[in-house]
Amino acid sequence: MELQKFTYDNKITRLFMNATILWGIVGMLVGLIIALELIFPLMSQNIPWLSFGRLRPLHTNAVIFAFVGNGMFTGIYYSTPRLLKTPMFSELLGKIHFWGWQLIIVSAAITLPLGYTVGKEYAELEWPIDIAIALIWVVFGINLIMTTVKRRTKHIYVAIWFYIATFVTVAVLHIVNSIAIPVSFLKSYPVYAGIQDALVQWWYGHNAVAFFLTTPYLGLMYYFVPKAANRPIYSYKLSIIHFWALIFLYIWAGPHHLLYSALPDWAQALGVVFSIMLIAPSWGGMINGLLTLRGAWDKVRESPVLKMFVVGITAYGMATFEGPMLSLKSVNALSHFTDWTIAHVHIGALGWNGMITFGMLYWLLPKIYNTKLHSVKLANAHFWLATTGMLFFAIPLYFAGFTQSLMWKQFNEEGYLAYPNFIETVVQILPMYFIRVFGGTLYITGVVLMIINLIKTANAGKFIQSEDDEAPALHSQSHGVDKGHRIIEGKPVIFTILTLVAILIGGIVEFVPMFMVKSNVPTISSVQPYTPLELHGRDIYLREGCYLCHSQMIRPFRSEVERYGDYSKAGESIYDHPFQFGSKRTGPDLAREGVKGGPIYKPDSWHYNHFLSPQKMVAQSIMPPYPWLISRDLNISTTSKKIRVMQTLGVPYPEGYAERANDDLLKQANQIAKGLRDGGIQVEDTKEVIALIAYIQRLGTDIHKPANNQ
Amino acid sequence: MTTEDNTPNNKKEEYEIDTLTNKRLLSNHEYDGIRELDNDLPPWWKWLFILCIVFAIFYMVRLWVFRSDDLIQKKEFDNEMANVKTVKPTETFEMVLLTDNVSLEAGKETWLKICAVCHLADGGGLVGPNMTDNYWIHGNTVENMFATITNGVIEKGMIPYKDQLSPKQRIEVISYIQEVLVGSTPAVPKEPQGELVE
Repeated sequence: MELQKFTYDNKITRLFMNATILWGIVGMLVGLIIALELIFPLMSQNIPWLSFGRLRPLHTNAVIFAFVGNGMFTGIYYSTPRLLKTPMFSELLGKIHFWGWQLIIVSAAITLPLGYTVGKEYAELEWPIDIAIALIWVVFGINLIMTTVKRRTKHIYVAIWFYIATFVTVAVLHIVNSIAIPVSFLKSYPVYAGIQDALVQWWYGHNAVAFFLTTPYLGLMYYFVPKAANRPIYSYKLSIIHFWALIFLYIWAGPHHLLYSALPDWAQALGVVFSIMLIAPSWGGMINGLLTLRGAWDKVRESPVLKMFVVGITAYGMATFEGPMLSLKSVNALSHFTDWTIAHVHIGALGWNGMITFGMLYWLLPKIYNTKLHSVKLANAHFWLATTGMLFFAIPLYFAGFTQSLMWKQFNEEGYLAYPNFIETVVQILPMYFIRVFGGTLYITGVVLMIINLIKTANAGKFIQSEDDEAPALHSQSHGVDKGHRIIEGKPVIFTILTLVAILIGGIVEFVPMFMVKSNVPTISSVQPYTPLELHGRDIYLREGCYLCHSQMIRPFRSEVERYGDYSKAGESIYDHPFQFGSKRTGPDLAREGVKGGPIYKPDSWHYNHFLSPQKMVAQSIMPPYPWLISRDLNISTTSKKIRVMQTLGVPYPEGYAERANDDLLKQANQIAKGLRDGGIQVEDTKEVIALIAYIQRLGTDIHKPANNQ
Repeated sequence: MTTEDNTPNNKKEEYEIDTLTNKRLLSNHEYDGIRELDNDLPPWWKWLFILCIVFAIFYMVRLWVFRSDDLIQKKEFDNEMANVKTVKPTETFEMVLLTDNVSLEAGKETWLKICAVCHLADGGGLVGPNMTDNYWIHGNTVENMFATITNGVIEKGMIPYKDQLSPKQRIEVISYIQEVLVGSTPAVPKEPQGELVE
């Protein structure tokens, strides 16, 4: 048999590796800053781009797409050629992929703090960047799939299956969720609205966790764990079953983010049951990872790489058990909107993604520098800092979530809320926020140790630009007859198509009725589109990231109806492009903030003073001040364009309204500003704060209108 | 490079055995030196999976066939509201100021929790009027103040507190205003509003 010679390119691996480390430390530091801002709300020093609402999307995007993204590409570009016995399909595509991805990250790091955002969690980036992501992702996909086509092994290994699933699904998720109509170069409105937008968004959000944070890292696990331990994979059969079950079931589970919302019962139920069915497929990955170490546990004791893998995989097992539990309605009623969720995702991020990445880097860097790790001791110190850091991060937040939720729900004997003032429940959990910062600091300290260790290792070794290998050509290999799953393992393109089919089913079954069957979103006749001023106010609400701390979704519980007013209905948000239900209540729900006579109504002057200085109105508030809303002029040159885009999306403004919208805007602004001036507040009609107040005072009022008219 | 491309002997019927765990290795399954074992699915895992699927079917049947109350949000909410048992005190309150320390402390607590948001902690007033002077917009008798707190002054932005404060708490906070705040000197007093009541 003729052996063909070829080389593996280590340069691209090293590029992605450096980017992983750089963005990792950036993303984590931003996380530390916003954790501190929750304790010291004045920390942002009235600088808009340093405020919590602007930096929180930067933290999540940096950690998910920059740190974990580059981490997965590091592993994929290293392992794929070796598993397929061929160089990557194209070095040029690899370079375009790398530099394109970094450019996207840089543009995110600039636009997000400046307030350019779509206002959908983990999909905040505006449309030009979204298009760039789609293009670069396709470049990656072509490079990956074409490499499998040009392979010299007859079958593709389970790691490659997971890489393929990652490529296919992320492409579908990103494109479907990001469809929007531009208003200007960095402003757009999503085509979906309200509860439908929420369903699409959480189908995306949940499966970003599944196919950006989970499947690629399972692929890495399937390569680096057996490599580092020098052990065979525990069960090939398990690989098959858990792979297909995982990707098929995952896609259905998005609605569990919308339990007790205005989503119809059937969709919520699908979210519950598919989450429960995911336990076993998720654990299949954990079992195959941990049991691969059977017979090598003595090595685990000595090797920081394997120790990190073990903790990472264990964290994965914990998070994928907890996730389905949080999807049970009774648990979700307690956990949702609290810090419990934050704790849960950080078990995944710090434990699973972090530890697997660190373990991979400690194993990989010495390999491509042809040397030994500079200090095992230092790596062990990192291991302990990361593990304890994760625990100090998560445990206080579990406690905080539990405590605050119980306080929200507590009634006294006379039937009044025991803690009617939201701030009491915040003050109660503030100590937990301190401990969280401590845990995060430990974790980051560990990363700093890693960076020192890796730099010293690199300096001691010599970088191997490329490695030679040889293998017989695919066509010259003996062709036994394949049976069962082996058949599609030998046909990567068919495999890719089957993967696509598996991940499309769940989404289609949930979306089609939601968009086609009217009874799923019962309309309410008194619900009207926002006035032009309110629309501008809403865009400011998005820009400042208000939705990251305030929900707009009153759940049908006595405790919430007493605290916030009547529970939210699907028909109320049909003009909300995008929806703003939120996922966390660091502050109170605002769904009925504008309802006069409602339990949380505040006058315009209160809001004005509160934006200027929350602490002046609520001494212990942890909301940052927004003085720039008061000094900045509202940009009304975009009004007509915004109205026209809304009309295109089906929002029923009258014909030709775009042209006269600013007349109404100025009238309403004058009315609000005059009211404030009468109360002794010196403010001009045209300031941004007026628009935001108009929006806030509109929230939740529509369904009360007929009653008010009587 | 560690790759060993030893072409495995396909004719060999015997399985290779992993010496550390004594389990069978799959022949022809080798990728960059990674081998795979022929282990079966762990039985407990298989049963866990089946159990979860049974749970899912059971759950959907309860929703779609039996329309169980706990899976239908609207019914669940109505049930919760129907089962609310409260011990609303029925005794009538005398509309008189309380002067004992316990009541004043309780009144202060309510003041700081609820009222201070608009009237400031020291009563100097900000969005709401100054509560330390002798000028009153809606009257200063206990009855007047009780009505103001109970029903709010919607047009000025004060919400009704009848669902948030018990009658006792309302009397306590009125007492706190009259006994402690009125006549005190706040840091930044708001200008007087309403009529002077001597």
